[in-house]
Amino acid sequence: MTNCIELKGLVKQYKTFTLGPVDLKVPGGSILGLIGENGAGKTTLIKSMLGIVRPTAGEVSLLGTDPDRAKEDIGIVLDDCFFSEYLRVKDVNSVLCRVYRNWDKVLFQHYLDKFSVAGGKGIRELSRGMRMKLSLAAALAHRPRLLLLDEATAGLDPVVREEILDEFLAFVSDEEHAILISSHITSDLEKAADYIAYLHKGKLLLCDEKDRLLESYGRLVCTKEDLEQVDRGYLVATRKSQYSAEALIRRRGDFKRLYPRLAVEPVTLDELMVFVVKGEKA
Amino acid sequence: MTGLILKDFLILRKTLRSYLMILVVYAAVAFAGFWQASFVSGFMMMMVSMLPANVFAYDKQANWDTYGLALPVGRTRTVAARYLVVLILTGLAGALTIGLGTAMSLTGRMEESLGQYMVTCAVFVVFSMIINAMMLPLLYKFGSERARMMLFGTMGVIVLLVVVILVPLGGMEWLKSLELAEPTMTQVAAVPAVAVVSGLVLLALSFLLSRHFYGTKDV
Repeated sequence: MTNCIELKGLVKQYKTFTLGPVDLKVPGGSILGLIGENGAGKTTLIKSMLGIVRPTAGEVSLLGTDPDRAKEDIGIVLDDCFFSEYLRVKDVNSVLCRVYRNWDKVLFQHYLDKFSVAGGKGIRELSRGMRMKLSLAAALAHRPRLLLLDEATAGLDPVVREEILDEFLAFVSDEEHAILISSHITSDLEKAADYIAYLHKGKLLLCDEKDRLLESYGRLVCTKEDLEQVDRGYLVATRKSQYSAEALIRRRGDFKRLYPRLAVEPVTLDELMVFVVKGEKA
Repeated sequence: MTGLILKDFLILRKTLRSYLMILVVYAAVAFAGFWQASFVSGFMMMMVSMLPANVFAYDKQANWDTYGLALPVGRTRTVAARYLVVLILTGLAGALTIGLGTAMSLTGRMEESLGQYMVTCAVFVVFSMIINAMMLPLLYKFGSERARMMLFGTMGVIVLLVVVILVPLGGMEWLKSLELAEPTMTQVAAVPAVAVVSGLVLLALSFLLSRHFYGTKDV
């Protein structure tokens, strides 16, 4: 299985923020969910991969080649619709069919119909959700092999999100395809992603298979006295209130065997993020 | 690249339609003998000169640059597409004003000679090219709002220098003598050719500068 995305030591340095170094691999046939709080560097990472911002250091390989060569096979949805309000939906077709060699007008129309976006409408008439659907149709209509999606499901209702997630799962059924999707809607990623990468303040804190991550980590709820007795090696982050304590623990299976008396629950991606951001480091 | 050129024209289509209507009205007024054809020509070229800055502003509003750089077009061709839009717009405006002058001349509605009008049109065309040659690198470097302010500031300084230096030295009389002089056939042929070539050279140099600015820009 070949890697559709390979990042080696990718760094982007600004005056007040540094992304990286980020090392990341996304194999073909998989979806990588990129999570992190606002300002963690998710959009900067995607922009650096595409050369929209110039990386300060590191190497980027997309679909086995450099980003500029790969762009013909990459579909992108960034966190907004970038088509001018002075354009009509059908204009997007006229413009992009002259940009992408593989642009398929019939496929574009198929996605517009599927997402219920009227081709005759002006873009200014579309709601945010409709604009995102238009962006998705544009991202898929040239039959890409890699999709880079930044908050692509934001602003969409659950029914459409479900449809789009199904579309993504069908897309990666081809072993040559892959998706990197950044999202705050972690429930979507729990459904669809194979891998999870967690960016925090520009640093890649976690990057692992989603199932392994969710099986490995757990949420311990106990008294403060019990928490004091726990081996520090299991603790990732802790939160204490007046009467009780919570902790994010690693190696959940081992922990349960070692402390059968303590209650450990599976952790969600949201909880994992909150623990890392708000919790005290153990 | 043709996709990007088409995008700019699609964004501008409403503006271009209204400009065309204004041209028709102004041409009718000129035909009625209230204005000279060269006034209409100058006005059109001035309006067309501002269009590329408008496209930058529309792109900025939509954050197009971020998306545009993710397309398989490349930074150099993106800049080249914008310069081609400028050339097409200037060419179209030039052709329309020449058509207007020729029509007025053939129907005997033009006060000035066709030769004088052609030379004047050539000056307007090159003026439009100079404005864009100055404006586009500023737009790529500083964005539409700051670049417009800078250009207007520069134009203001030029006008001030003309008033402070050229007028006391008798420059206005010299300009009037030029206006009255009937150009020879050689001048009628040479002035537009030299003007257009000079404009193209300036735009080529401007393109290199814009490419440099855009090539190193983080969007």
